[in-house]
Amino acid sequence: MARMKFICDAERCIECNGCVTACKNEHEVPWGVNRRRVVTLNDGVPGEKSISVACMHCSDAPCMAVCPVQCFYRTDEGVVLHDKDVCIGCGYCSYACPFGAPQFPGQGTFGVRGKMDKCTFCAGGPEENGSQAEFEKYGRNRLAEGKLPACAEMCSTKALLAGDGDVVADIFRTRVVQRGKGAEVWGWGTAYGSKPAKPQGDAS
Amino acid sequence: MMLTRKTTRGASGAAFNGGALVQRLQHGLAQALPTMDRRGFLRRSGLGVGVGLAAGQLSLVRKAEAAADAKTDGARKIEVRRTVCSHCSVGCAVDAVVDNGVWVRQEPVFDSPINLGAHCAKGASLREHGHGEYRLRYPMKLVNGKYQRISWDQALTEISDRMKALRAASGPDSVYFIGSSKHSNEQAYLLRKFVSFWGTNNCDHQARICHSTTVAGVANTWGYGAMTNSYNDMQNSKVALYIGSNAAEAHPVSMLHMLHAKEHGCKMIVVDPRFTRTAAKADEYVRIRSGSDIPFLFGILHHIFKNGWEDQAYIKDRVWGMDKVRDEVLSKWTPDKVEEACGVKEEQVLRVATMLHEHRPGTVVWCMGQTQHTIGNAIVRASCLLQLALGNIGKSGGGTNIFRGHDNVQGATDVGPNPDSLPGYYGLAEGSWKHFAAAWGVDYEWIKAQYAEGQMTKPGITVSRWIDGVLEKNELIDQGPNLRGVFYWGHAPNSQMRGLEMKRAMDKLDLLVVVDPYPSATAAMAAMPGDAADLNPDRAVYLLPAATQFETSGSCTASNRSLQWREKVIDPLWESRSDHMIMYQLAQKLGFDQELVKNVKLQQVKGQDEPVIEDILREINRCVWTIGYTGQSPERLKAHMRNMHAFDVKTLKCKGKVVDAETGYDLSGDYFGLPWPCYGTPELKHPGSPNLYDTSQHVMEGGGNFRANFGVEKDGVSLLAEDGSHSKGADITTGYPELDHVLLKKLGWWDELTDAEKAKAEGKNWKTDSSGGMMRVFMQNHGCHPFGNAKARAVVWNFPDAIPQHREPIFGIRPDLVAKYPTHDDQKNRWRLPILYKSLQQKNVEEKLHEKFPLIMTSGRLVEYEGGGEETRSNPWLAELQQEMFVEINPATAAARGIRNGGRAWVTSPTGARLNVQALVTERVAPDTVFLPFHFSGRWQGKDLLEHYPEGAHPIVRGEAVNTATGYGYDIVTMMQETKTQICNVERA
Amino acid sequence: AEPEPAAAAAPAPAAAVPAPAPLAGPTAIRSANILTLQDASAEPGYAEQSNAQRAQVQPGNNAPVWRQVGQGVSGTVNMPYAEYGTLIQPTVQYPGTRAASAGEAWRQLRNQVLLPYGAALLLIVALALGLFYFTKGPLGQEHPPGQGQAIERFTPFERAAHWSNAAAFLTLALSGLVMAFGKFFLLPVLGSTLFGWLAYALKNLHNFVGPLYAVSLLVMIATFVKDNIANRADFQWLLRAGGMLGQGQVPSHRFNAGEKGIFWWAVTIPGLLLVASGLVLDKLVPGLDYFRADMQLAHMVHAALALLSCALIAGHIYMGTVGTRGAYRAMRTGYVEPGWAREHHELWYQDIQSGKIPARRSQSAPAKPRVPISVNPVSRSNP
Ligand SMILES: Nc1nc2c(c(=O)[nH]1)N[C@H]1C(S)=C(S)[C@@H](COP(=O)(O)OP(=O)(O)OC[C@H]3O[C@@H](n4cnc5c(=O)[nH]c(N)nc54)[C@H](O)[C@@H]3O)O[C@H]1N2
Ligand SMILES: Nc1nc2c(c(=O)[nH]1)N[C@H]1C(S)=C(S)[C@@H](COP(=O)(O)OP(=O)(O)OC[C@H]3O[C@@H](n4cnc5c(=O)[nH]c(N)nc54)[C@H](O)[C@@H]3O)O[C@H]1N2
Ligand code: HEM
Ligand code: HEM
Ligand code: SF4
Ligand code: SF4
Ligand code: SF4
Ligand code: SF4
Ligand code: SF4
Ligand SMILES: [Mo]
Repeated sequence: MARMKFICDAERCIECNGCVTACKNEHEVPWGVNRRRVVTLNDGVPGEKSISVACMHCSDAPCMAVCPVQCFYRTDEGVVLHDKDVCIGCGYCSYACPFGAPQFPGQGTFGVRGKMDKCTFCAGGPEENGSQAEFEKYGRNRLAEGKLPACAEMCSTKALLAGDGDVVADIFRTRVVQRGKGAEVWGWGTAYGSKPAKPQGDAS
Repeated sequence: MMLTRKTTRGASGAAFNGGALVQRLQHGLAQALPTMDRRGFLRRSGLGVGVGLAAGQLSLVRKAEAAADAKTDGARKIEVRRTVCSHCSVGCAVDAVVDNGVWVRQEPVFDSPINLGAHCAKGASLREHGHGEYRLRYPMKLVNGKYQRISWDQALTEISDRMKALRAASGPDSVYFIGSSKHSNEQAYLLRKFVSFWGTNNCDHQARICHSTTVAGVANTWGYGAMTNSYNDMQNSKVALYIGSNAAEAHPVSMLHMLHAKEHGCKMIVVDPRFTRTAAKADEYVRIRSGSDIPFLFGILHHIFKNGWEDQAYIKDRVWGMDKVRDEVLSKWTPDKVEEACGVKEEQVLRVATMLHEHRPGTVVWCMGQTQHTIGNAIVRASCLLQLALGNIGKSGGGTNIFRGHDNVQGATDVGPNPDSLPGYYGLAEGSWKHFAAAWGVDYEWIKAQYAEGQMTKPGITVSRWIDGVLEKNELIDQGPNLRGVFYWGHAPNSQMRGLEMKRAMDKLDLLVVVDPYPSATAAMAAMPGDAADLNPDRAVYLLPAATQFETSGSCTASNRSLQWREKVIDPLWESRSDHMIMYQLAQKLGFDQELVKNVKLQQVKGQDEPVIEDILREINRCVWTIGYTGQSPERLKAHMRNMHAFDVKTLKCKGKVVDAETGYDLSGDYFGLPWPCYGTPELKHPGSPNLYDTSQHVMEGGGNFRANFGVEKDGVSLLAEDGSHSKGADITTGYPELDHVLLKKLGWWDELTDAEKAKAEGKNWKTDSSGGMMRVFMQNHGCHPFGNAKARAVVWNFPDAIPQHREPIFGIRPDLVAKYPTHDDQKNRWRLPILYKSLQQKNVEEKLHEKFPLIMTSGRLVEYEGGGEETRSNPWLAELQQEMFVEINPATAAARGIRNGGRAWVTSPTGARLNVQALVTERVAPDTVFLPFHFSGRWQGKDLLEHYPEGAHPIVRGEAVNTATGYGYDIVTMMQETKTQICNVERA
Repeated sequence: AEPEPAAAAAPAPAAAVPAPAPLAGPTAIRSANILTLQDASAEPGYAEQSNAQRAQVQPGNNAPVWRQVGQGVSGTVNMPYAEYGTLIQPTVQYPGTRAASAGEAWRQLRNQVLLPYGAALLLIVALALGLFYFTKGPLGQEHPPGQGQAIERFTPFERAAHWSNAAAFLTLALSGLVMAFGKFFLLPVLGSTLFGWLAYALKNLHNFVGPLYAVSLLVMIATFVKDNIANRADFQWLLRAGGMLGQGQVPSHRFNAGEKGIFWWAVTIPGLLLVASGLVLDKLVPGLDYFRADMQLAHMVHAALALLSCALIAGHIYMGTVGTRGAYRAMRTGYVEPGWAREHHELWYQDIQSGKIPARRSQSAPAKPRVPISVNPVSRSNP
């Protein structure tokens, strides 16, 4: 079974925010909630690098581990999803997530945050695939439609790769060899453990 | 502890497995990758949007459902419409999924050879156009400072009555039409026709303030004023010099091709006053002072000539006058002078020169950093000279890749409302008018009678200076009346300089009409109170809701000259109407509707007559010979859009034999979008020209050579190409002049014309032969180029600076350099208006403006917003990404002023304007430079204009417009505005 | 931050890479595999290089950037939202955790330290109290009412303060414990939907009752602080471990050292810290950024103290109910029998006897008795 992963190729990402907007468009995510964002390091000086980041769908997901109501689950493809009906909006997942992926519609005063929202790898949620309820809570379920994440599909430079971990790693490796540089796979160590090339089992 | 509760199996039970996703991934990436075989998965052409559309999936479409409820029959129609992003000239294709008339989804078009499904933020947000919550919904009129809803009929009647009154009082030249690069080719063309029938040349569009200097400078160097190659072709480059282009923000998807090239070893050099997102990708970044491109370019040329790195054979065969340039560069632009003027050390200039020399073919990319200067025409020619010296023009991987601006600025320039030409760059001479009168099926004398005496052949006022047309003393203007009425027909006001004066000009008008889906920047500016003394008590302001390009169909021309066809996605929202419908209806009121649509059928759209777009394109096909807009019939273009997969990403050429399933049209040999020139009639099947002036290709395969447009000799020296330098397979192996009936007869090829062709061609040249027969014979039978075969001109003798000269801007911080490189003398009459140069520059030096305003103020783009920004700032998905107008300021400069990152600052300029903006303290800019994005409007010197907007139609994000603070300065050849080098000070607020 | 790369650096890669494919030309780059290139770590100052400098000696080695990322250096983002610039939380290590990204370390501390040890503590306390009860039974004698004139031990105000505080605490503790442990014992029973609703309700209850608790806690502290100041008698009490050692009860003032201990170490100090951290978690403290690091810290303090005080308060509740005869009645009615007072708080009793402390302090209480109340000593030995 495919193990879905993201790679953002820092040698290519130009901070165009195409991925961010694609996500907003596809899932009609409200203002203030951003499943994806682009960060630039060394801004304005040589060596500048931009990175697009969203939920990485970690193998041993901290968010999942801390959720008091255990509303996270993992699909066969390794996508980390959650159940908004069960979520109590406590914010723990956002404290735990190394990438700052979980987002909340509310400000959190008196702990009122609303239901957590995060990148679903465009795989919807526990509702029936493609249902209205699924769309309203989680956005579209592209995986069920045989499509890959909107953000990666629309990435302006194909910096953002999404798909089966082995395949995207291969693509990335090809590029690295081609250009002879830029070998780091951003965030893979944190998200998937120390061996980036091999997808981890689901049962971690 | 972790659960696996759900698998992502398709609801339909079908079609999902890892394999399909892998396929899709490969599909999305294939062409960007050397390792993937694209054809392999193309066989699975079922994959794509179709897969997702099993009925079960669609129930999730909330909005469509609402629409469906409204319909009694309940039948649902789900369609996929292929359109093109309307935000920049890259021309990314988009598949719009429409459910019962509602645009519900947007899918990437992996097949597009231009973007392979990729989008920047703007393209990825396109679907918002289908909702347009902040758009103008119905016609409005300004009454006592507030906009009130009126009916279309009232609006059109009142506007046309006002126009007629102005015409009666002051003549047709009193009305000014600002057209749009957002219009489709057909609409832009129709507007030029409309304006001509109204009887004026006072029309223009964004190209004036965008690439006018490029068009003039480049066309005068070698023939056509356009990007020579394509984004795709940059994959063949060994080095790319970006000078004055921030492609990563302004043409993001072009970077797909460039970064791919980089992975194959292409070197990338970026020359810019700012360290941009593009610079971040460069192998070599060069920081120059804004406005000093000529010293830098000539600094490179100095090393090239000094080391003998120029392509001597190429220059001998194909370039005229390079020796004069060589002398000038070697004597004048020694490394010390270069460093003094542009601030770059010799060693770095040499390093760049060496890179260009060692890596060929190399391309030069430029954009607004070069064009928007008082010497823009000279800067772009300096870039051409560099490429000519290196022998890079007319080669795949070489060329001048001039990234155009708006989605259809190329097309609007080619066939749209220009003040100095008719469609296809036909000049305003009587012959051209007659050519078009015939094509339009109207009487030449009738058109002439519409014009004021003597004005028909005189170029009109430019959009950059319409305010001077209003404010200048009447006796100094080269037309009868001052301007009294202005149409903003798809153009923003905050994109033109001198905002303070624009407000005065707007108040003085008798008539202001804004035709725009988002007319609100103009609306707010007109409605806000100005100086009471300026306000014309009789002024009438109307807002007309135009439909966007997604609510109609039509062709648009991408930067690489490829034409793409947009299918209509949805019906016009609310009460909006398509631009060509509005033109037609206004013509009805003005009494020339019959003439306007003589060759065009009408169709019903929401109960109204609308001219059929295809017919307009066919009319264009029949008359725009000069630049080869004749081969791109609607049928061919549509076949291309349906069969995008057929085209190779690197060459844009159709791979193998591909036949359009729907029409049986054979695409073999075609280049994607039939990049102009696509000569001859559609039947000739010219494939379009992917790379201009490419002698390695046969003219019938898109090859060519430099154009013979400037006579055959100059100062006794031939201007034609040397013997043996000609496009592949040409029967004439020497240089030759452009084709006319005399030449064809002399060559003895006249009889290859049919009798019918002969009748039409007699007495004509290739540009006016409406049969296309001469072209057919010349090209198809003999492999010769209709525009002749000449040399490029290194010296453009008809320009004020025949060899590009560096001149300091009017407003600058370097009085020492003004003394050495002064600007032009003041001019009495350019484009109907007087213009200041030296007197103002001297005054500024004498008043020591550089002490009060010690910072260079430059401006440009953010990836999320486009143009004046009214459209994109009304789009919540984009607006969230840039919520504040800001000024980029260097840490040292900020510290000296006590300004902190994120704090407020006042930007003050010599015009007296004061902008309240956020400070972005960053190393992107040097200590002597600040940068401001130009996409904001809606705040005016510290005030929010919200209350002056038409209700409900205000952008989400409002901010100060940089052009409120910009001052004077125009290119002498084209009236391009100097937006890149202005001066200012920044204070802590 | 000099935009122009050091000029001398250009030839450096060739020198630094003796491999057959030097990084000079494009073709060389193409065939060079980064995995086979010799590293450039011999360069002077290699470890301190900026990403731009590194790019000169090792094109494409972005290690300096990734190091920055790992250190939590914040990048630039367009959107004006907190922490969007942080790609990965910086690495930290807490006692009992691995060094890991802060969120992961927090997770480990919570899931591997606080929750298990907290749970263990609570279970041990419960077990100990049960054991204590079954071995020792309730402490003290029965003092049936009516045997003397009752002494007002707690005024209505004091009782109100105590009970509102107690109610709030119990609510918080219950809801908090469900948040912390519910998924282990309730979720399997209730199923996720039901448990989700319950947890949602309790969590919101917790979030709103917290600030109420803060108020009641302050009142409580103000009310009882006077009588909880340590004095010499407390040493005695402590020396004899509250009467566990030796014979009979240890004389104490109004509150004995054990109660004072509860007051200070189970109520006041952890209470204030719980309130402080709770208010942070509730985002009610003005002027804070509420970054993830702040929240993690607040949570760790909160959870640790919550569990600790739950354990201690459990002891208190035990003592206040089944653990001590007559204690509960004191807090419920406000009155104790003189015998009870003498038995448990002899010094306090003496003060009342001597009139130093009035036997009735509240207005609503019956008028002060004029004569000192005498206690029949026989009642002690004659139940
Ligand atoms: N996101 C976005 N994309 C757009 C547009 C948009 O509005 N938004 N507009 C489209 C249009 S209309 C156009 S014309 C293009 C423009 O595209 P670009 O020209 O690439 O964009 P700009 O930001 O205007 O300017 C490019 C760079 O020129 C630099 N510059 C300033 N002065 C000088 C100088 O004197 N010399 C040199 N060499 N460089 C200088 C600026 O620092 C800036 O980085 O973008 C098109 N694409
Ligand atoms: N300071 C400074 N000023 C600049 C520049 C700069 O770099 N710095 N750049 C200059 C350049 S290169 C350019 S091109 C200009 C761009 O500036 P403008 O072209 O003036 O700005 P846009 O907002 O793109 O204007 C297009 C208008 O057309 C409307 N529109 C969109 N689609 C349609 C349609 O189908 N029909 C009609 N009728 N209207 C439509 C949009 O709503 C918008 O109001 O700005 C110039 N001004
Ligand atoms: C069901 C729960 C509780 C019961 C039955 C209970 C019972 C009692 C009783 C009987 C007393 C009086 C003891 C005496 O007379 O010496 C008392 C005192 C006190 N209780 Fe509780 N209590 C409960 C919960 C709490 C809670 C949750 C807190 C604080 C968080 C608390 C704080 C106190 C304090 C501060 C005193 C006064 C003793 C002192 O200040 O040392 N109680 N409680
Ligand atoms: C004094 C008694 C309190 C106890 C026993 C207590 C206990 C707890 C416990 C056990 C947790 C769950 C920790 C976990 O699951 O890891 C928690 C979380 C929390 N507590 Fe408390 N708490 C108390 C007081 C307060 C107060 C006074 C406030 C606010 C003023 C507060 C606000 C919170 C918040 C905001 C959370 C985070 C969970 C959420 O937002 O739902 N608590 N508390
Ligand atoms: S990235 Fe964050 S939210 Fe996503 S799985 Fe990992 S820990 Fe959870
Ligand atoms: S916010 Fe929701 S998803 Fe996140 S940990 Fe809390 S309950 Fe779980
Ligand atoms: S995978 Fe889907 S949900 Fe996640 S960021 Fe990309 S578009 Fe958004
Ligand atoms: S779309 Fe691609 S290039 Fe653009 S910001 Fe996202 S990841 Fe980077
Ligand atoms: S704005 Fe330009 S680059 Fe971006 S999606 Fe549209 S056409 Fe493509
Ligand atoms: Mo432009």
